[in-house]
Amino acid sequence: MVALTRFFETIGRRTAQSLDEVGYGASLLGESLFWLVMGRRYRQPVRVEATMLAMLNFGVTALPIATLLSGTIGLMLAIQSLYSLGLFGAESFAYIGIAFGVVREFSPMIMGILIAGRSGSAIAARLATMTINQEIDALQVIGINPVRFLVSPVLIALVVTVPCLAMWANLVSLTCAGLYVSSALDISFAAYIRDTMNVLHTGDIWHGIGKSALFGVLIALVGVINGASVSGGAEGVGQVTTRSVVQSITLIVVADMIFAYISTH
Amino acid sequence: MSVQPETSRQQAVPDEIGRPDAAELAARPAVIEVAHLDWHYGSRQVLFDISLDVHQGEIMVIMGGSGSGKSTLLRHLVGLMPPIPGKVKLLGRDFGALKAMEKLELRRKIGVAFQFGALFSSMSVAENVKLPLRELTKLNEKTMDIMARIKLEVVNLSGFGDLMPAALSGGMVKRASIARAIIMDPKLLFLDEPSSGLDPAVSSALDDLILRLREAMDISVVVVTHDIESAFKIGDRITILDKGRILACERVETIRSNSNERVQHLLNRQAEEVEVDPTEYLRRLTGD
Repeated sequence: MVALTRFFETIGRRTAQSLDEVGYGASLLGESLFWLVMGRRYRQPVRVEATMLAMLNFGVTALPIATLLSGTIGLMLAIQSLYSLGLFGAESFAYIGIAFGVVREFSPMIMGILIAGRSGSAIAARLATMTINQEIDALQVIGINPVRFLVSPVLIALVVTVPCLAMWANLVSLTCAGLYVSSALDISFAAYIRDTMNVLHTGDIWHGIGKSALFGVLIALVGVINGASVSGGAEGVGQVTTRSVVQSITLIVVADMIFAYISTH
Repeated sequence: MSVQPETSRQQAVPDEIGRPDAAELAARPAVIEVAHLDWHYGSRQVLFDISLDVHQGEIMVIMGGSGSGKSTLLRHLVGLMPPIPGKVKLLGRDFGALKAMEKLELRRKIGVAFQFGALFSSMSVAENVKLPLRELTKLNEKTMDIMARIKLEVVNLSGFGDLMPAALSGGMVKRASIARAIIMDPKLLFLDEPSSGLDPAVSSALDDLILRLREAMDISVVVVTHDIESAFKIGDRITILDKGRILACERVETIRSNSNERVQHLLNRQAEEVEVDPTEYLRRLTGD
């Protein structure tokens, strides 16, 4: 009986904690947007230099690994599409599945997961270390709003860079897939690209961009919430960093499914 | 209860620094007023009905053992915790009743140096010191450089501005933190354990720095410390906290003759003698 009570108590406590974190995330998002819009009026604008630096760290320095991953995904999709469609003798339609799969699903999701692992963890670790070292307290007593100073630049940077990386991934994936398919089916690369362009609509591109921007928001908020909730020392930093990556990836996959369902119904 | 004789360092101090007399200080306006402040962490109450005031130009030292509530009180004083229930007035303004932007304005008049410095590890010492100017003023880079150099000179850190905080010693980190705390020429300065972890010579130099700052800037200083020698050297008044309650708040000249036994224990660095029930003690150890 005691074990059962404890079990439900744990579930209740975790649910309350999760709701608390959702509320905190919403308030962080609202406050970040407030400082973005109203910061100049209150003589505390969001720092452009810090935002650019964050974009450089999250986006530009991720280009090599993003290129490698998206190229591989493009090739993998091409191989699988040719194999599965080949069972029905429909290899020549492979470009349709590849185009939709890359633009609407794989590029946003893979870039989201990449940035969650690479930058979301860095955000959580940095915030956690700053919290432990009382640097956040120091900002507050100086009169600098920590959300404006630390969260807004990160949020803006991720909302811009994740869609940019997804667009880059589209380009690389479709090119690699096109090279493989055109070679396998003995058609010209230009013909493959023309077919792909005919089947894709602007709405498909916006679908991917919208999703990527949403993933950017999720990665930033999850990183900040975990970083700010750190307790203990170095061990605590490690825990919130791991937690941040796991939560970000889970949320990205779930949000992707919801986004796909809503946008196709 | 015997009172420990004062050390030569403590006896020499009042003549050296010219501590303002009690009547003069009392006549000055109160810049910090705390009234009936309570605070709980969950079900555990850590502050009980705290009321105290600090006058302009006064150095108030807050002392107490570990877990006495010193740090929690300091967090209330600097506005990191809401004074509910109770009231904290800084420079005549009720901190709890201020709007967010008014709080930001008031914070510009407050300087805080944290126990471990809380310097931003990604910035150089000079960038740390300049940060409040960069974020809260429209001064140009050259003016900010000059002001940062002046403050670093005040804390004897000139020439160290380009170093990163990780390259500084403990004492230097504390001094850099003080330089950042005074860069906006605050009216109130809060120092959390300025001498902890420092050797006696560095600690004494830091005490001298605090006294010089008070004299040069006419600021009020609140110091939270464990260091009794330091407290007697720099303080005008000493507040002693014990288990969340104020045991004494007196001038340094009179607090040693305070009749409260706990005050004497704390001032004479004696552990509290607690009568132990052997049965209860054994039960606690064995967990039965």
